[in-house]
Amino acid sequence: MVTLVQVVVSGLLLGGVYALLAGGLTLIFGVMRVINLAHGEFLMLGAYASFFLFVRLGLNPILSLLLSMPLMFGVGWIAQRLLISRVDRAPLLASLLLTYGVSLALTGGAQATFTNDFRSVPFLSGALNIGELAFSVPRLVACVTALLLTGAAQFFLARTRWGKALRATAQSADVALACGIDIDRARMIAFGIATALAGAAGTLTSFLYTIYPEMGKTFMLKAFAVIVLGGMGSFPGAFLGALALGVIESTASYVTTTQIAEAVIYITLLAMLLLRPQGFFGLKEA
Amino acid sequence: MNDEHLLNCTELHAGYGRVPVLRGVSIVVRPGQFVSLIGPNGAGKSTVLKAITGFARLSSGTVTFNGQAIRGMRADRLVPLGLAYIPQGRIVFGQMSVHDNLEMGAFTVRDESTRAKAFARVYDLFPRLAERRTQLAGTMSGGEQQMVAIARGLMIQPRLMLLDEPSLGLAPRFVQVVFETLAMLKCEGLSMLVVEQNAAQALALADHAYLLELGRNRLEGTGTELLANPDTRRLYLGD
Ligand SMILES: Nc1ncnc2c1ncn2[C@@H]1O[C@H](COP(=O)(O)OP(=O)(O)OP(=O)(O)O)[C@@H](O)[C@H]1O
Ligand SMILES: [Mg+2]
Repeated sequence: MVTLVQVVVSGLLLGGVYALLAGGLTLIFGVMRVINLAHGEFLMLGAYASFFLFVRLGLNPILSLLLSMPLMFGVGWIAQRLLISRVDRAPLLASLLLTYGVSLALTGGAQATFTNDFRSVPFLSGALNIGELAFSVPRLVACVTALLLTGAAQFFLARTRWGKALRATAQSADVALACGIDIDRARMIAFGIATALAGAAGTLTSFLYTIYPEMGKTFMLKAFAVIVLGGMGSFPGAFLGALALGVIESTASYVTTTQIAEAVIYITLLAMLLLRPQGFFGLKEA
Repeated sequence: MNDEHLLNCTELHAGYGRVPVLRGVSIVVRPGQFVSLIGPNGAGKSTVLKAITGFARLSSGTVTFNGQAIRGMRADRLVPLGLAYIPQGRIVFGQMSVHDNLEMGAFTVRDESTRAKAFARVYDLFPRLAERRTQLAGTMSGGEQQMVAIARGLMIQPRLMLLDEPSLGLAPRFVQVVFETLAMLKCEGLSMLVVEQNAAQALALADHAYLLELGRNRLEGTGTELLANPDTRRLYLGD
């Protein structure tokens, strides 16, 4: 019983970071109808930002978010303005090719600039013991931070003027225009927020996992799995999907091995696609 | 420029791809007028409204609103000028509450008290929406959704409202409600340009009306004149 609780809680801790990554991916899809294949690379950039700020300036990764998130927001804003805006009204293939190109360019650029060396951020360690349960402190801190940021993003979308305008643009860009909403600006805000969240996810993973230029790929696959579980285009769906994925992954790696656990994730993904392709909370439209 | 004209469209030419749809349409709305735009399916009525609001590209022609040239301006820049547009098909933000739909209608209204007044007025006009303010707009009946769409347009307290087929596809009971609402708004002095396939009722309300055919002006006159015209009667009123 104790181990079961332990496994589930570890899974939930894992899920928090996935939620941060997948939430942005689903936001971009909702507002722009673009599947951003470079999303994992934004996570990678966030991880390197955390690494260099930690190594060079000795900045606490959590505090460094105050610096890196606005920066990543700007990166996303500019990416939308200069690149994505050219394809966000075109067929899906155009944006897939473009964002795949961006993904390759960022990975290559990172390899050239940061080398292929594995890096790590030695920030936090140890475990917190509650009764017979033990929780990794870095994971706990990462998860709590991720939940706070996801909550802030959800609050923005649900309650604020521009947050609602983003959702309105996602539901009908034409009616949003007729309401006087500058939909180009809405799209830049959406991409900026998604990129900032991906960067933050990178910062949080920087002290949990090794940092290397291709790290985005693994996380990207997990983000897709989350979205398949939660449903494309739904921010709360992505949150629940992320927690579900974390628990599935953690349980599978406890029962079997880490390698098999990876396989279990993709089997779940396929089963979900076969049985309920719209996910638990996906957009109902075609 | 004529100060008498709230909206003045002259010689509009537009098309989708290389197919011409408008081949010289001219329309005038004077302040306080209820203007009806009727015509057979495919005549280009919706395209006229889309061309005014920047959703369709004009190849030639002029559009002035309140004395300002607005041709080619995107819809979001027209809203602050006081131009409200309710597209065909009672489109609402289905995943948002009625209240949030109205709030989006007031997106450009930054002053809190003006916004509060707009909400009060709209809820007063549509008590049904006040009762249902937390309901998701997508779960409402067709007639109620059309009310949301119209109310959304009213949130900017527009100088002119463009309505595309507000009664299309509604149950007869709701068609009546829509026309009663239009009559009420007319009484309040709102200027409107209304596209309708329900010609008899649209003409009965109209101060002035245009009949379009194949992308051109075919007939115009007061609502009563068009109602009495043998051509209109033959084409639309089933004589
Ligand atoms: N997006 C579009 N692409 C191509 N052709 C279009 C488009 N929208 C309208 N058309 C064509 O333009 C012509 C005029 O269409 P429009 O919608 O303006 O007519 P309408 O008078 O509003 O008709 P209805 O009463 O059916 O709404 C039609 O022949 C229509 O097929
Ligand atoms: Mg039409």
